Formats: sequence, C-alpha cells, structure tokens
Amino acid sequence: MLKLKISQALPNPLQITLECAAGQLHALVGPSGSGKTSTLRTIAGLSQAKIGKIECNGETWFEANELAGVIQNLSPAQRSCGFLFQQYALFPHLSALENVLIPLQNSAHKVAERKALAQDWLGRMGIAELAHRFPHQLSGGQQQRVALARALARQPKILLLDEPFSAVDAPTRQGLYKTLADLRKDLNIPIVLVTHDLREADLLADRITVIDNGISLQTAAPQVLFQRPRNSRVAELVGISNLFHGIFNAGNLTWDGCDKTFSVADKGKIPANAQVAWVIPQDGLSIHNAPTLTSTPAIAAEISVLGQIAVIQLQIQNSIHKIEWVASASEVKRLNMEVGSQMYIELNGNQIHIMPLRPINDPRRFVDGN
Amino acid sequence: MDTDAILLSLKLALWTLVLILPFGVWVAHSLLGLNRSKPWVEAALALPLVLPPTVLGYYLLVGLGGKTFLGIPLVFSFAGILIASLIVNLPFAIQPIQRAFEAINPEIIEAAQVSGLSNWQIFRLIELPLAWRGITSAAVLTFAHTLGEFGVILMVGGAIPGETKTVSIAIYDKVQSFDTSGAGALALLLLGISLIAIALSYGVFGKSVSQQRQRRG
Repeated sequence: MLKLKISQALPNPLQITLECAAGQLHALVGPSGSGKTSTLRTIAGLSQAKIGKIECNGETWFEANELAGVIQNLSPAQRSCGFLFQQYALFPHLSALENVLIPLQNSAHKVAERKALAQDWLGRMGIAELAHRFPHQLSGGQQQRVALARALARQPKILLLDEPFSAVDAPTRQGLYKTLADLRKDLNIPIVLVTHDLREADLLADRITVIDNGISLQTAAPQVLFQRPRNSRVAELVGISNLFHGIFNAGNLTWDGCDKTFSVADKGKIPANAQVAWVIPQDGLSIHNAPTLTSTPAIAAEISVLGQIAVIQLQIQNSIHKIEWVASASEVKRLNMEVGSQMYIELNGNQIHIMPLRPINDPRRFVDGN
Repeated sequence: MDTDAILLSLKLALWTLVLILPFGVWVAHSLLGLNRSKPWVEAALALPLVLPPTVLGYYLLVGLGGKTFLGIPLVFSFAGILIASLIVNLPFAIQPIQRAFEAINPEIIEAAQVSGLSNWQIFRLIELPLAWRGITSAAVLTFAHTLGEFGVILMVGGAIPGETKTVSIAIYDKVQSFDTSGAGALALLLLGISLIAIALSYGVFGKSVSQQRQRRG
C-alpha cells in the first residue's frame, strides 16, 4: 500500500493526496505541467516536496513538516521503486541484458543467477532474443520492454510509469496494455501511471486522480469520475461535453442564459442562490419529435455520423447553449432527424449532477448567484 | 636527431598524462555539482589557455624557485617542468571530460539511482563508460600539447640537456645555431606525432566504440 500526502508552495505548487493498494493501478491525469510527473518523481525520491509524508507498506520513505523540517528522506536507491521513464532512459553503452542486470548489481544472487534472472525478465517481456542488442538497435516498443524489465528486475515495492504509452505507435501500445494487464495480476504491488490520455486511464486504471495546477482535485473510480465530477474544473478536464452553469436554490436549478428550471436533488451541501456548474450524462437525455410537458425545444445544428454512432449538436432555442447527444445511427433515422430539424429534449432532473465551480480548498468555492 | 630531447618529451608527456587524467576526471565530475562558484572555478581552470606562457612561467619560476613544499627548489629540474606541464594542461585535460559528463542525459543517472546503484557504482558503471570519448580526447590533447609546450617549459626549466631540454626547446636551440635541417627533422617529428595522435582520437577511438557496439550487438 502506497500512501502519499505532500504539499509545497514553491518552486511549483503541489498539493497531492493519494493512496494506492497492492495490485491496484492508479492513474494520475491532468494537463501538461499540472504536476503529474513531479508527483511521480517525488514518490521515487528524485525530487523532494517541502512537507508531507510518503509511506509504502508501512515504511516511511519521506516525512517532513514545517516545525521539524525533514525527518526522514530515503534516497531513490533505498526506496525500491520500479520507475519507467517516458523516454525509457536506457543505458546506451549496455546491451538489453546488461541494462536489466544493473538493478541486480547489489542483489545477493551470484553472477550466473543474476544473468538468468535478467534473461528471465526479458523473456517475460517477450524479447528474450534481443538480449544482446544495444538500445540504439531496438525499436521504441522494444526499448520500452527492456526499460520495463529493468524497472521490475529489482522486485520493487511499487511500479511508477511516466507516460509510458506516449512515444509508441498504436499497435505497440495495444501490446503494452496487455503486458501491463498481465503484470498487474502477477506482481501484486501498487502501480501508479501518469498519463494525459483519459481514455487510457479509463481503460487501465482502478482509480484516477485528476491533477490541475499541482493540486489533486478528485480521486475516484473512472465511472464515478465521469458521472459525478467533484467540480466544474474536473468536469472540464475529464472532457465532459454537456457542462453548463446555473444558479441553485432550494432544490431548483436555473440554467444560466436559458429560461429553464429543473428540480434537482442534492445532499444539502450547496448554499442558497449559489452559482454552480452542472452536468448531465447521456442517459439523462431523451429526444423527441413532438413537444412534451417538460421538454425544451431545440434545433439539430450538426450531425456527425461515425459508423454506427452519431454525435448530434442540439441548439437550445432562445439560448446560446448546445447539448451534445450521442445516439445510434438507427435512432437518428427513426427520428427523421436532419440538420435544421425541430426537436424536443427532455432532461431528467434526477440525473443532473450539480457541483461547485471551484475546488473544495478554494475560498471562492461558492459564489452567490445574486 | 636529438634522441635525448625526444625521449625527455615523451617521458614528460606520459607522466603528465598519468597524473593529470585521474585528477581531470575528478575535477570535471566535481564541477557537475557546483552552482554559484562554477563560473569562477571554470575561469581559474581555463586561465592557462589565455595567460601568456611567459606570465605563467614567471609565476611558476617564482613559486617553484625557493623552498617548495618538497623542501627543495624545483626550477630547472624534470619535477619542475612536470609541475609546469600539469598546470598548463589543466584546461586541455578537464574541459573535454567535463563536456562529456555534462552531455549525459540526467534521466540516465536518475534511472541508475532508482535501479539501486550507489554514487560510486553510478560513476564506475554508467558515467565513466559514457564519458570515455571525452577522456580519450583529453588524453590525446594533453599528450600532443605537452610535446609542443615551449614558453612555460623554457621559463621554468631552462634548456638543460637530458633534464629539461624538450623537443620544442631543442628546435628553438637548433634554429638559433642555424641548424635548420636538424630543426626541420624535429619539427616534422612533432608534426607527425601530433597529427597521428589527433587522427587516432578522431578516427580509431571513435570508430572502435561503434565497432565494438556492432560486434557485441
């Protein structure tokens, strides 16, 4: 189990909390420069936070507070992290086998045993026959497998992966996804993955932490994150398309810039007349040809058909807002929908998720809408 | 041909190499860790490049002339010209090695750290092999430069045959005494040695690394 709680104001602001259990894959996502890689480097001991605590399997790797300063700070060599660098960082003067032998340098095994172990790791990565090649004689994907074998050869207590899939082509990436999935089952250690690709995080991770400007905004399972983002910035970062603003008062949400009010349930945490952000998942939308009592008129402004899937932009009438509706191509046909068609949208209030505009630690979290 | 001068020059160049290379590696590696003081240290180490040889020679003459740390004057002796040669060669030995260390991708060092290597192991197994071409260049430059050094050696050592009269000083002496054919032969020898040394560093050493890689691959 990896537990991390770090914070600092300078040189880069960092305020991250995360926990990752053995066998879990935890993804850190966020835009470039948000602090994902800094967090990973701090875990490995390659950078140091001002204050905080990093624990792995009950062992304190780093501890510092404002009063006492640094209490404990193990060196990267003492921490037992497998670290996969974005550009692999293979030792260019050593063969693949020699690269994997480096982490075994200080092991208790005899030289022949070490060689067998290193060769075994290359075998597990599917590149046993490339053992005597040098990094410059390997493709990007092969280099990455050597780097992964090197990261794991020491039997680390955690595995840290820094954007591992960004520099390889799509087919290689698919192969690496599978390798990672297999390893996860076998290794049973916490794995922390940094990525800017949400689809990848959704595909691979058990839990995702969204980081922005050095602050961890939300940690949740992928499904929860996409359906119930904690605030408007998280919704933006995870790419939720139907994100709007409004004013919430006593169970009623008034849509900004649109004469429309919905009855919405909340946990009573949001003060009266607060400016809020809100999202509605695709399940909460139903589209009709004819008006109903609670429907909102809209015009089909754009229809993009991608194979069996259609993405439709519906322009709400008398408003600046567009709602994105993803449907099957046959559904679009059934509704006789064409660009310019008059449609009627029903938004299910029970599915609307409202949230503050800013993170929980921001004093401007709720702004009075009046 | 002045065999004594040739042998003395070779002896001086070899001793300079043996003593300066480990020191150069140590200083070049230590410079990586310096921040604020780095420009000053680098400037001090590069001084022999820009100082006129007579100025450097004068200070060494004064410094090594009286009782030195060994208790005896060192001027006009082999030990004296060796010390002078070491000082004059500092920039030639340190700068190529320093550039080679600086050219190593920091992520490679970090990868070695997270692989559990100690600082000494990182130096021995990763940094030293990767800086090998810089060390070779430093060795060749130092060797060729020592063979050709004139001003400082003349100031500190005079021209004592078999003790301090190196090839370049012998060439000067021969020109002074109108022995142009003797001077020409020695000059040609120095030219040849320098050319071969630099060609070796550019060609053979450079190629041998890549060939070795190919062979092992």
